[in-house]
Amino acid sequence: MDKHHDMFEPPESSPRLNHLFSRRQILKLGGISIVGASALAPLLARGASTPLIIMEKAQGIVIADPATCVGCGRCELACTEFNDGKAAPTLSRIKVDRNINFGPDALFAWREGQGAWGSGLVVQDVCKQCPHPVPCANICPEDAIVVAPSTGARMVNMDKCTGCKICLKACPWEMISFDPDSHKATKCDLCNGKPKCVEACPAEALSYVSWRDLTGKIPPRVSTTARPQGDRATACFECHLPGQRKSASPSARMIPGAAKPSLFSSRPDSTFSWIDRLGTIFLPVVVLAVIVHGAVRTLVKR
Amino acid sequence: MKKTYLHPLPLRVWHWVNAAAVTLLLATGIQLRLAGIPDLPSHSTALLIHRYAGWTMVASCVFWLIYGLASNHLGRHYRLRRRDIEGIFSQTKFYVWSIFKGEENPHRPSPDEKFNPLQKLAYGAVMCIFTPVLVVTGLLFSDILLVRKYILAWNIVKLLDAIHVIGAYLFVLYLVVHVYMATLGRTPLSHIKAMIVGYEEEHDALPYLECSREQEGEKGNG
Repeated sequence: MDKHHDMFEPPESSPRLNHLFSRRQILKLGGISIVGASALAPLLARGASTPLIIMEKAQGIVIADPATCVGCGRCELACTEFNDGKAAPTLSRIKVDRNINFGPDALFAWREGQGAWGSGLVVQDVCKQCPHPVPCANICPEDAIVVAPSTGARMVNMDKCTGCKICLKACPWEMISFDPDSHKATKCDLCNGKPKCVEACPAEALSYVSWRDLTGKIPPRVSTTARPQGDRATACFECHLPGQRKSASPSARMIPGAAKPSLFSSRPDSTFSWIDRLGTIFLPVVVLAVIVHGAVRTLVKR
Repeated sequence: MKKTYLHPLPLRVWHWVNAAAVTLLLATGIQLRLAGIPDLPSHSTALLIHRYAGWTMVASCVFWLIYGLASNHLGRHYRLRRRDIEGIFSQTKFYVWSIFKGEENPHRPSPDEKFNPLQKLAYGAVMCIFTPVLVVTGLLFSDILLVRKYILAWNIVKLLDAIHVIGAYLFVLYLVVHVYMATLGRTPLSHIKAMIVGYEEEHDALPYLECSREQEGEKGNG
């Protein structure tokens, strides 16, 4: 494992803080950080004095199934046509093809993973309509992210939004876009309970369901039927997801067969291996009973 | 030698198609479930075989049900009658005791009622519980677009897997007994031959009696 890990250490030529920063650069960095800190001060003060914003849960959420997505992008067009009055996929509140080069881990691979080893799988990213805490609403200095009255979705109040873009940075899934024309942030507000992306999807890859905690339950980002086998599974796991397996959620642990199977054990991803253990007890018992029955019968016949 | 026509042609064909499907499903199913045993076909080939044999099984089940209802095969041969209750005990006693003493089978298969009470129970359980459960869970596994998202959202894949595998083990246990019991005829192969040609051979020594309900308990063929 360690051997493979080393393969992805940054090459020696990459900048290291200890010896590559010149004095001028350090002075520059210092200046930037002073400016940054002073800009952040009001935010920090506000964070200390006001409690976190607690919002009621959204009623619904759009969930997406990458395995059925064909990547046509109609959802993006429908979204921006309805919400912005123009066809502008960059503004879309559902983001379809930005992950195609980053494999099943999508954005997470983009930020922390090793880059373009893409599976070619189109992964749709949608707003999670976070329950408390709501990162975008908590960070907004204008309290411009509010609960939509009809759906409970977290929506941008266009009158309050000043276009500071801080919510774009706050969202862990980078689901908020910025409209340069109106100079406002845009995010999914579930279209008054009739999401246009879901209506536009020709592949039934999107569905609008009532909100509940879907952690570990949303459709996985890899097809469940395509699984690397044998040596190849081990190789994929060791090269592409170094150290991520332990921290990953159950649904993210989607590299079946990664552990070396022992003889006659269940496949590592098959839970309920007690069934096999019971089977290996009962089956010989029944076979033995049948053999004994037959043996006794033939013996008695003689 | 008296011969009785027990198994009509459609059921004989069904039985052997079913047997072939089950054999394939079992062989590939073991490979898919248990790691470490040598992969005879590759994993993907095994998956493919398992899938198509599964669809054969679906068709076979549907055929069995429709044929059974239309020809009253189900009503005639599977319906438990009142005397089957004590028949269970006499039949069990036969299999665990009397058979060793060379006594005759208390049940005599006839075109009107070819299964003994234990057979009715076993076949009924296999065809009405185990196989439907296996078929339905297997169908749910086959990535049907309509149900796929619900299975994933409810996170019941592993539950279905467990049910499927439990059903499969029970089916295997049944199969062992079924194959053994198939050799308990007049000769070891006579039941199997009957399942191919349709005619069950009777002992020469026993006069064939038109089955009245009372006599049935006393005379039977082996």
